[in-house]
Amino acid sequence: MPEEQKAKTGHTKTQAGKRLSKIMFNDYMRLHQKAKEGAFVVWIAIVVPAELFSGFENVVYAVPESHAAMSAGKGVGPLQCEKAEGNGFSPDLCSYARIDLGTAFDGGKDSPTFGLPKPHLLVSDNNNCSLLVKWFDVYHREWGTPHFILDVPFCYEQQKDRDFDYILSQYRDLIAVIERMSGQKFDARRFREAVCNSGEALTQWKRFLKAAAHRPSGLTVFDSFVQMAPFLTSRGSRELVDHYRLLADETEDNIARGIFPVPNEKYRLLWDNIAPWHQLSKMSARLAGLNANIIAASYTYCMGSLEGEFDLYAYDGGDPLGYLARTQNFSVCPHGLELRYRSMQRAIEEVGIDGVVFASNRSCKVYSIMQMDILKRVTRELNIPAVMIDVDHADVRKYTEESVFGRIEALLELIDVRRNHALP
Amino acid sequence: MDLDNKMKSLKDKGGRFIGCFPLYPPLELFHSMGLTPVVLWGLRDFVKTSARADRHLQSYACSVARHLVEFVLSDQGRIMDGLFMYNACDTLRNLPEILHCGLDENGRSLPVFRMHIPMAPQEQTRTSGYLNAKILSLIMELEETFGVLFSPERFRHSVALYREMRSLCKELESRVARGAISYGRYSRIMQEGCFTTVEDHIESMKDILKEEPLCRNDSVVPSHAAPIIISGILPPPPKLIDALEDAGLRVAGNDIASQRRSYDYTPETADNPCIYYVDFYFNHFPCPTLLYSANKRIATIKNLVARTGARGFVFIGEKFCEDEYFEIPYLERILKEMSIPTLPLEISIEDDKNSTAYATRMEAFSEMLRS
Repeated sequence: MPEEQKAKTGHTKTQAGKRLSKIMFNDYMRLHQKAKEGAFVVWIAIVVPAELFSGFENVVYAVPESHAAMSAGKGVGPLQCEKAEGNGFSPDLCSYARIDLGTAFDGGKDSPTFGLPKPHLLVSDNNNCSLLVKWFDVYHREWGTPHFILDVPFCYEQQKDRDFDYILSQYRDLIAVIERMSGQKFDARRFREAVCNSGEALTQWKRFLKAAAHRPSGLTVFDSFVQMAPFLTSRGSRELVDHYRLLADETEDNIARGIFPVPNEKYRLLWDNIAPWHQLSKMSARLAGLNANIIAASYTYCMGSLEGEFDLYAYDGGDPLGYLARTQNFSVCPHGLELRYRSMQRAIEEVGIDGVVFASNRSCKVYSIMQMDILKRVTRELNIPAVMIDVDHADVRKYTEESVFGRIEALLELIDVRRNHALP
Repeated sequence: MDLDNKMKSLKDKGGRFIGCFPLYPPLELFHSMGLTPVVLWGLRDFVKTSARADRHLQSYACSVARHLVEFVLSDQGRIMDGLFMYNACDTLRNLPEILHCGLDENGRSLPVFRMHIPMAPQEQTRTSGYLNAKILSLIMELEETFGVLFSPERFRHSVALYREMRSLCKELESRVARGAISYGRYSRIMQEGCFTTVEDHIESMKDILKEEPLCRNDSVVPSHAAPIIISGILPPPPKLIDALEDAGLRVAGNDIASQRRSYDYTPETADNPCIYYVDFYFNHFPCPTLLYSANKRIATIKNLVARTGARGFVFIGEKFCEDEYFEIPYLERILKEMSIPTLPLEISIEDDKNSTAYATRMEAFSEMLRS
């Protein structure tokens, strides 16, 4: 493909893409290096507010879920899953967990990041899923590593004051635990700075996602999936702000220059679930060949929003701990059906969606169980066609491309039929 | 057991039913407020299909969730006047709104009472205040919805009844352990207890306990049967229980959520429901679904093995129950170190129809234990 054409279809690696690889490499190398030099290492669930650790001079954190996603993306998911299964873990368990257990029990072998440094403390969080608590308990039993469980109530409605206070009190407990275990003093100034950085980074993130509203869209959901990674590994850093600003700037600039990932975009779709990490390139390319573009995902637009919302919930410079407690439920998994539907409705309206792909994900029951009813509501109340496909976010062995694309193509046909029958 | 008729006859007596999601709802509280709590598990034989549930749940939801949804949406589910759920697991927490959608499609609705039970260990986080507030909120919601008033006296009375019921359950279990009552019969009695009033459950257990130690009308496990511990969320389906006992295995210890884990502990003091339930939940028999109890579970299992003299351990895995499955590899290893062989069985929604394969494995396991 000539260079000019590559550029027009967005197939060349962007500056933000190149920088992303560098950030991720540096983050993992820094993590290993600091751990080697004696830093206090915490393993956290994906939604544990990592800004808390920035309040300490020498505390580093690792996110096993993020590492598992990267492993799946790099093609070693099944290999690590098999190691866990060989150790007796059921293949029905979450594939993130199996990848992580397989990696950890094999000393980091075959990992794209040489595994993760062994933790001094495990911090799980049951509002994303209680499975994560069970998963971290495995390490707690095997290694005797203390395990702090952030107990966060599921939200069927917007967060209640009592739940907010309860979460806040647990953050204080967690800080006290780290102070005691690491011998380091929590520095409120450093912590506030980290929360400011995250707030600013999320503002830029939302700016980036807005590019989806353009016709054709300035992004594909696959861009946003991969660009989530530094939010997990660099949360609270200045580097993250700079990166997301570059990402948003570059995406807006591309739109201004007429460069679009799917220039002949005919179908604008929304994705509901975790990314299929093992299929990003393949799925993206095959969809583009159909002139279809998944331009938004509940998985990515939830970042920076409150439960049931779509817009940015900005940090106003107030109590940083309070801000984190209020946004503790930002990710989709802790949301009830009504809240999920509400934010999806907003997304559909804001970016202009023709159809919704509900990815029923065997590895994530919290995300998936309730999709059948949301799908019905979307088709009935919003009159938007939708389809359900079977995926597993990290275990490619449970994925069948032809079956998935058979359904997606049926969705595209349905969109066509509706358009052809629409009133002029 | 004809659960349909059993529940209809209960309803005919008047009274209001609250369908409780598994696993460990505050039964005494509901009872004290004039409600009959029915824990919605063990519905396998009650709901003949899962056609209604299939319209709302993917195939990887466990059988407990599927049967529960099927029951609530079915005509039999009309017996209930309300539903109660707490954050027992990742699947169950998604169900209240799914049920709302399903009921709404049929022009029905039910009040749903939801409660978050703190899952952090008490030594880590001050959870008591939060749980106190949740119990008080629940009481207020029940008062408002059903037009009843909470009474400390009635609560004490209900606690006394449940204490008696649990004590009788333990007595029955000990007879199973001695081989005086079959595990199959005991499991039927336990299941019936879920769909009857606590008063009737107590009376029926008293009647059974009055029988001769070796009852005449029931197949009793031979004394040479190998003692085992059975562990899981639900007991195996009846056919598999028969296969287990036919294979020469005797259930000497019980770690089933709907059985021992449910009735093991009743707090001493019942003057204040908030204090009672803090005690009830945080001193509960360990269960993988009570996340804070993980540290106690290994010791409890080891004690159970030592106390019962079990020679084998049978895991009754509920397909897709992640809470259980994360702990099994470690438990297997610990038991191996204690020279206790294990037999992991996985039961999914249709597996009771194919009992032969299980029977073969149980026979082989039994032979190994007895050789």
